[in-house]
Amino acid sequence: MLTLRNLGKTYEDGTRALSGIELQVEAGEILAVVGGSGCGKSTLLRLIAGLDRPTTGQVLVDGEPVAEPHPLVGVVFQEARLFPWLSVAENVGFGLRHLPASERAARVTAELERVGLASAAGRLPRELSGGMAQRVAIARALAPRPRVLLLDEPFSALDALTRAGLQDQLARLWTGDRPTLVLVTHDIEEAAVLADRVVVLRPRPGRVDAVIDIALPRPRDRDDAAVETVKHDLRRALDRSLGAGRQGEAA
Amino acid sequence: MTSLDLDLPAASPPPRRALRLRGPLLGLVLPLLLAAGWQVAVDAGWAGGRLLPPPSRIIESLWSLAVAGELLPHVLATLARVGLGFAIGAAVGIVLGAAAGYARLFRDLVDPTLQALRAIPSLAWVPLFILWLGIFEPSKLALIAVGVVFPVYLGVSGSILAVDRKIVEVGRVFRLKGLALVRRVLLPAILPAVVLSLRSGLGLGWMFVVAAEIMGASEGLGYLLVDGQQLGKPDQILGAIVIFALLGKATDAILVLLARPTLRGQDAFGGRN
Ligand SMILES: Nc1ncnc2c1ncn2[C@@H]1O[C@H](COP(=O)(O)OP(=O)(O)O)[C@@H](O)[C@H]1O
Ligand SMILES: [Mg+2]
Repeated sequence: MLTLRNLGKTYEDGTRALSGIELQVEAGEILAVVGGSGCGKSTLLRLIAGLDRPTTGQVLVDGEPVAEPHPLVGVVFQEARLFPWLSVAENVGFGLRHLPASERAARVTAELERVGLASAAGRLPRELSGGMAQRVAIARALAPRPRVLLLDEPFSALDALTRAGLQDQLARLWTGDRPTLVLVTHDIEEAAVLADRVVVLRPRPGRVDAVIDIALPRPRDRDDAAVETVKHDLRRALDRSLGAGRQGEAA
Repeated sequence: MTSLDLDLPAASPPPRRALRLRGPLLGLVLPLLLAAGWQVAVDAGWAGGRLLPPPSRIIESLWSLAVAGELLPHVLATLARVGLGFAIGAAVGIVLGAAAGYARLFRDLVDPTLQALRAIPSLAWVPLFILWLGIFEPSKLALIAVGVVFPVYLGVSGSILAVDRKIVEVGRVFRLKGLALVRRVLLPAILPAVVLSLRSGLGLGWMFVVAAEIMGASEGLGYLLVDGQQLGKPDQILGAIVIFALLGKATDAILVLLARPTLRGQDAFGGRN
């Protein structure tokens, strides 16, 4: 579904954000990307989204090189980034202009119901809490039925309780038409609860440090012993990657 | 009576109706009271009211102008000047502002000059405009347009520069480009600031139409001011001032009303105006 070939990005100011990323993501897979801050996670997602051009290598969606935002790829950012002048329903329908009005309205209603916000359809973004706004952002990204959904630390600005709720909700949403998810996070538990596979990045420049498979059935209980074990492994891998980054810096 | 008030528990009764009057109604109380007081004082002979005529005489003066068919032409002349001057100034301001906000090169090239011109008190242009354009309509329109153009230019260019890059990115994710991106993301994002700048431009337009008409005009509310001064008719001057106030407020309200559908995402435009 998603192939990254020798992907690298060096910004104009000389910052080497990413280098030599090789990755294959299967259709319907949930891939988490973890790593310390500044190790190129957002850069990676922006390259996949077609918002930035890679310096080396390429991104393929369904075998097609990505040069600009792809119709089958949706994005959810860390901030909800709703359009403040549009109602909740209009925000969700933003990417549905190509549909006839009646179908669009039906799709918007369905998406809002899926994220539990049917009653907020007519509200304006400024009237929403952070968690509600992020659910609207997820509904807006899912409404055009993308095959790949990219999420850049989507819950990191929320309080712990809201965050856990939204993680579970995301898992339920995914069971619908099972899009490929690439979830950037620095929350170990988020990765352990949601992902099939976790890529650990190592900083300066961002490279793949480790890939960890999580073969646990879904839905997962975050208090389950097996999930705890995975969290433990992930934390060790993350610590190693940070250590590797520091060594790389010193060398 | 006071003892009764003291007996009441702190938060029990709802505030009295008179105190809950909101916004415009409450704002009318003071001027109406002052006007009524002045009217009574003059009627009772406590005050002369020659230089500051009471409301009845102001209304009378406006009424006699109106029935003589003179008021409407003056009002229309002023409205036409403000309307045309505002339209010219706003159009130029929007075009310059859009170019400066959109194109870095244009901004670097033109913005310093415009900022320098803006620093000149606009009335300083009057003698030059009269030399260039004569004392009739063109110089008046030019003055009004100059008053309008700067706030609009600043508002438009500033709002474009201030557009949240992150929200534009969402537009790009939905594969909007060029005109579609402008129409669906950039334009709605800047509209509130643009409307605000148009409103301050319109306010300045009203200021400058007075200046332009006092400079010399045979028609218009400004002419009524000058005429009232020369003939010693303070009631006519005050009448013209009242009409200025009403028209200024009304045109601003129309602008807000026209813009309302585009402004609902804004906290600041809760209909407070
Ligand atoms: N637009 C940019 N220009 C220059 N450097 C950038 C830019 N965006 C990110 N960087 C740098 O690239 C590195 C990776 O950034 P980022 O991808 O945002 O990391 P993460 O999301 O993992 O925190 C950082 O060192 C950051 O400072
Ligand atoms: Mg980031």
